[in-house]
This record gives sequence, structure tokens and C-alpha cells, in this order.
Amino acid sequence: MRIGLVLPAVPGYSETFFSNKIKGLEANGYTVILFVNSCNRKTKTSTKTKVAPKLSGNMVRIGMISFYRLSYSLIFHFKVSRRLFILDRDDGINFIQRIKNIIINNHIFSEPVDWLHFGFGTMVLNRENVAKAIGAKMAVSFRGFDIGIYPVKHPGCYKRLWEKVDKIHVISNDISELVYKQGFNNQVPIIKITPAIDIRFFKNNHKTEYNKIPHFITVARLHWKKGLDYTLEALALLKEENIPFHYTIIGDGPQEEYLKFGTHQLGLNDYVTFTGKLSHELVKKKLEQADIYLQYSIQEGFCNSVLEAQAIGLLCVVSDAEGLSENVLHNKTGWVVPLRQPKLLLEKIRNIINLPQTEKDTISQNAKERVKLEFNIKKQQKEFVGFYENN
Amino acid sequence: MKKPITVAIYSGVSKSTTFIERLIKGLIESHVKVLVFGVDNGKSFYSESVKYYTYRGKVNKLFRLCKYTLLLSLFKPKDKKRLDEIIKANTHEPKYLLRLKYYPVLFYKPDIFHLQWAKSIEDWVWVQEFGMKLVVSLRGTHITISPIGNDYWADLYTHLFPQVDGFHAVSKSMSLEAQKYRALPSKIKIIYSGLLLDDMMFLPKTVKKEPLKILSVGRSHWTKGYHHALDAMKLLKERHIYFHYTIIGVDDDEELLFQRSQLDIENDVTFKSELPFEAVLKSIQAVDVLLLPSLEEGIANVVLEAMALGTLVVSTDCGGMDEVIKDKENGFLIPIRNPSEMASAIQNVSQLTLDDYSKLTKAARVSIEQQHHIKKMIVDMKALYHGVLNDKL
Repeated sequence: MRIGLVLPAVPGYSETFFSNKIKGLEANGYTVILFVNSCNRKTKTSTKTKVAPKLSGNMVRIGMISFYRLSYSLIFHFKVSRRLFILDRDDGINFIQRIKNIIINNHIFSEPVDWLHFGFGTMVLNRENVAKAIGAKMAVSFRGFDIGIYPVKHPGCYKRLWEKVDKIHVISNDISELVYKQGFNNQVPIIKITPAIDIRFFKNNHKTEYNKIPHFITVARLHWKKGLDYTLEALALLKEENIPFHYTIIGDGPQEEYLKFGTHQLGLNDYVTFTGKLSHELVKKKLEQADIYLQYSIQEGFCNSVLEAQAIGLLCVVSDAEGLSENVLHNKTGWVVPLRQPKLLLEKIRNIINLPQTEKDTISQNAKERVKLEFNIKKQQKEFVGFYENN
Repeated sequence: MKKPITVAIYSGVSKSTTFIERLIKGLIESHVKVLVFGVDNGKSFYSESVKYYTYRGKVNKLFRLCKYTLLLSLFKPKDKKRLDEIIKANTHEPKYLLRLKYYPVLFYKPDIFHLQWAKSIEDWVWVQEFGMKLVVSLRGTHITISPIGNDYWADLYTHLFPQVDGFHAVSKSMSLEAQKYRALPSKIKIIYSGLLLDDMMFLPKTVKKEPLKILSVGRSHWTKGYHHALDAMKLLKERHIYFHYTIIGVDDDEELLFQRSQLDIENDVTFKSELPFEAVLKSIQAVDVLLLPSLEEGIANVVLEAMALGTLVVSTDCGGMDEVIKDKENGFLIPIRNPSEMASAIQNVSQLTLDDYSKLTKAARVSIEQQHHIKKMIVDMKALYHGVLNDKL
């Protein structure tokens, strides 16, 4: 079976979700073809990769590429191009967009696949007929932003999709609920396959003793979705109570200035360290040195970092944003706190600090075992094979 | 007759923000000769007292570059040679762009070069070498945020601020902030933003209507603290206060759109795109509360405008806001980052009698008339310029 995977770019080293999925499928005899918008030369892959035409830059360049791709499609893939044009027309897509669709999907036409799987919901917009045009089944994954945030700004954006898609993949039950909220009505199967991590890499090297001064840590892009400002506000309240602590934030992103200013304004300069983005190995090292992992996000599909922290044995406190309350089971493998409420986060952190060692150990142990059992790569790979096999 | 002083008001563009345009207008009316340099994006004033030496488009840029190269070569060859050395030493920007920016300034040599945005200071310290005095305005995130978020700015300011001839600080808090980067207190003059109060009629509220109409105005930027405001609106809703909240200037902000949806306050909160100044004033007059949820400000102009127009202000106690708002005397001050206090203050406003509301707004108008009249701002600004020219700061 041939699977076409549509992604923004070739998965990087840290994007384990996709790379593990591809490895798993290939190991099970599937042929995977990557259809990407851009290809970073540094990111190497042995998987066959087709890159979409780049329609940016000066107008002359765009015009030439468009003309070439359109001519190529009409000469060598006339039937597919015609089918896509007609299907798009029947959906009321305007003429210019229909022509554009032939040009931008040109790299997909030449590769016969059984399944065309769009890795993010937003990637399928305006391309709902491509799979049918090439005679493949269509699958779409929803992961977080694409179903939690994008439709807020673009209401009804998936209306056309629900009638066209053959199977939907979600990474958590909450994401599944959001799919229904956007008008999906059980037209096709919706399958949950959660992310997974490399348990061997994150095997437990964590010390059994906790730091005298509690050390909190978060690994996240510095983006508003991650709720780091609420986290800092909770920690400022902790400081007011004269409870010593240190907090390390690993990652970079658009909110760096905001969060550094917030740290300063809240008087937390001596309490918070921003490390910037670190390598996988260094992240692991930093996690091993910490006691409590905080992920107080506003919106979160599932969050691999929380899985990794649990695998290492950290005590995890997360918000109840989408997949997080499934990632961490409240009072069993960690703690779940209602989002956007720094006072509640403060109370929870204070409680955890004061927990007896045995209780901390129990939670940590539960988390490690659950991650090992439920979120390992082999399980995920097996589920993906089932995803394409079971119709 | 004494020759009027010439002042370059430099913001990078010919048509700038409302408060910079207001400064130019005031200076022209009080017989200061104003020169405007930078990119041509339109003109607000047509007067003998203001000259625009601006550029736009490739042909125009080439013409200007040739013109001022020739003029300087003919009439100020030594100065040109020195400036070319300075340009050569600059490795950050293309040389032709620097010549385009710098040559007209050197040719016309204003007495004062008044830089409106501090981040450009590195570009303009050279003017002092040619006898021009450098005045820098201390306003906005350039002073309050950038040097905290990025050490580059802190180091740059610490290096260059001691050399500046004079500073215009929009508030006391801004002055204190600049002193952290070695700006000399003796060189700083606090000049409050001035409003054209003759054009801003105080309009007392005559009836108490429901729902309580709340308004915030400002660009979509984290300093504005809108997500705290939305958290406060959620609390107001839970407390069964009947309100409607509008933010002008943020119609497309993904974070706020998501938050509004997540908090289920979509029917209670409206986002609007930016509006022209006159339309903003009308919107302020039409509401009961002007809310400033900011994390940092100099002194927010929109608050001054609301106070002048007769709309009650609830503002966070950030930056210089306490220099204009006296809590429960002419408005309400609340702590930053505190949605609960914000909701309570708005709740208090909703319970005010019309009489109490009127007392507070009248007191607010008086405060503005005393401290933020355009005439006062221009008098103070001219005093700053004269002080700098006579080394009497």
C-alpha cells in the first residue's frame, strides 16, 4: 500500500510524531511518499519526497513557475487536472483558485497513492478534492491549532471537508470533541492515536531525591498558547509567600520579550532562567535536574514534552487545555489545574511541594509506567497500520 | 527681530502619530521653524514654518541623493567629508540609505534635532559633531520594554544616553526609567502630552443606560494587557453584571479571538479594527467606561482624551498613569495583572449614581485642563529647546 503524507516540511529530528509514524509504516511494508511545501536541505530523509511549487518571490518568477507547472499538468496529467477542476467547480470554488489548485498540487499528481493523508487540518483547506481527483482515499489529522484555534478566526472552514474525507485522525478525545463542534457528524470513522515518545531515550535516570529548593521546568515554544504568562503570575504569588524555588523555561518564540518583561515586572529575575532552545540531549539533562514539570497551557493538542517529563519521573502539573487532561491523569499520574487561573496553579504547586516523599514517588512511578505502556512508539506504529488497514 | 530656532522633528516618516503631529502643529503656531526629514508618507501641514525634506520612490530617492551630494560638495565639503567617514564606519545599513537620510539634515543643520523614538539614537548621535543639539523623547516601549527584553538596547542606551543634550520625558516614571540607563536627571524635562482641548468638548452623561458600555482603544500588542481585560469580563459575566465591552484596534488578533471564544463571552465582547481619530473620540463619548488594562504605558493618550471628553476611566496603575489619575477622585486605578480587581472596579462604576459619576468626570476634566493643555506642552517644549541651546538644562 502507498501512503502519501502531506506536510508543511520534511519532519525534523524533534518532530518524532511524524518520523516514527513513517518508520513504522515503512517497517510494515508500506511505501510512504512525503508531499511537502518546503524542503530544508539540513533535514535528511530516506523517504521519497516531492516538493510543492514555491509560489513566492517576484511576480515574474511566480508567473514562470505557474505557467510551467500548469502546462506540465495539462500535458502529462490531463485527466487528473480535469477531474480536480470539475470537482472544485462543483464545490463553487472560483476559477482562479481552481487553476491555482492544479498548479500547487501538481507534485501530488504524478505519484499514485492509496491514501492521501493531510498531516494537519489546515493543510487540506481548498484541497478537499485532490485525493478524489487522483483516485485515493483521504485522511486528515487534527492536532490542536488546526481545530482549536484556526476555526475561531475562520468559522466553518471545514464544512466542505466533512463530506469528502474518508477517515479522521485525532490525537486526543478533546480534539475529537472539537472536531464535532466544527460540524462533523460521524460521516466517517474518527480514530484517536495519541502521540508517543522514545521510551529508551527518556528512560529513568532521574534522581530519587528532590532538590532542597524546588526546581520547576517547562519545555515549550514561547507562544501565547503555552500560557507561560499565567505560569509566571502563579510563581510570583508563590514568591510572595516566601517559598523558595527556581523555574527554567526551555524554548524560544515570539513571546520572548513579553515573558522576559513579565519576569522583570513580577520581580522574578532571580527565580527564572530562560535557556533558549536546547538540543534534545540537553533538554533531557535539564529535565533530570528538575523536580516539577509545569505545562499550564491555554491550548494544547496533547504535548510530547509532558510525556517526556513523565517518562523521566518528574511530577507534572498541567492545565485542563484539550489533550493535557488525558496526557496526565489528575491525582494519579500528576495534577490537572483549570486553565487561566494562576491562584489555583499556585495552590496546587504549594500542595505538591508539601507532599510526603512517598506520595510524590507513587505519582511519579504511576506516570512512568503509564507512559511506558500507553505512549510508546511501537503501540503508535501499530495503531497507524490499523488506521489504513481497517476500512 | 530674534531669529526663530529651527527644530527637526524626526520620527522616520513625514506624517507620524497623533501626538507627534500635535507637537508639530503647536510649534508652528508658536513661531518655531520645524523641519521634517525621513520617508514621505504624506503631509499634514502646509505652512511657511514647516519644511519637509523627505523622500519616496526610486527616482525621487536618486534625485535627492544627487541633489544633496552636489550641494554638500559645493557648500560644505569639509562637513561632507567627515560625515562620509561616519557613514563608512556604519556597518548596519546600506551606505546609500544612510546618505539619503543624513545628507539633508547636514545641509539644513537645524539648531535642535529632536528624535522622537529612542531606539534610533545610534543613527543620530553624529548630529552633535556638527553643532546640532540632540534632544530625545522618552516615550513608549522603546524605554519601558525593549531594554528589559533585550540587553542590546540596555547597553546601547547606557552608552549613549549620557551624551544626549536634552530629554523630553512624557511622564515622571519614564524619566526614572531612562535614568537606569544613565540619562542625567538634570538633562530631563518632564513635559506632559498636550491635548487640543478647545476641540474636545466635555459631554456630561445625562442618563444611566444598560448595559454598561466599556471601551478599550489601542493596537494589538501585549503591553496593552487585553487578555487580563477579557479574563475580567468573564468574571463580570459570572457576577451577572450586564455589560458590553469593545476593543478598537484588535479585530484580527488570533489570541484574543481564541480567548473570547474559550471564555464564552463572544456575545459580550466586540473587536473592531483601527478607526480614524475623530471616530475614536466619538466612540469614547458613547461609552460609560474607558478601560486601560495595560501592563506598561508612559501616560496613555486615550485616557487623557476620555478624561477630557467626560468618560470615566478605569486604568491599571502602570507607568505614569498615577500621575494623571487619582484613585476615586478623577477615575479608578487598579493593580496590573489583576482581572479580579479590574472586574470589581468596573462593578463599582456600574453601581455609581449619575451624580457621583458626574463628579468624578468633572474632576477628570479639570485635571486634564491643568496638566495636559497643548499650550502648556508647547511652552514647556520651547523651554526645553532654549535650555538645551543655552546649556541651561
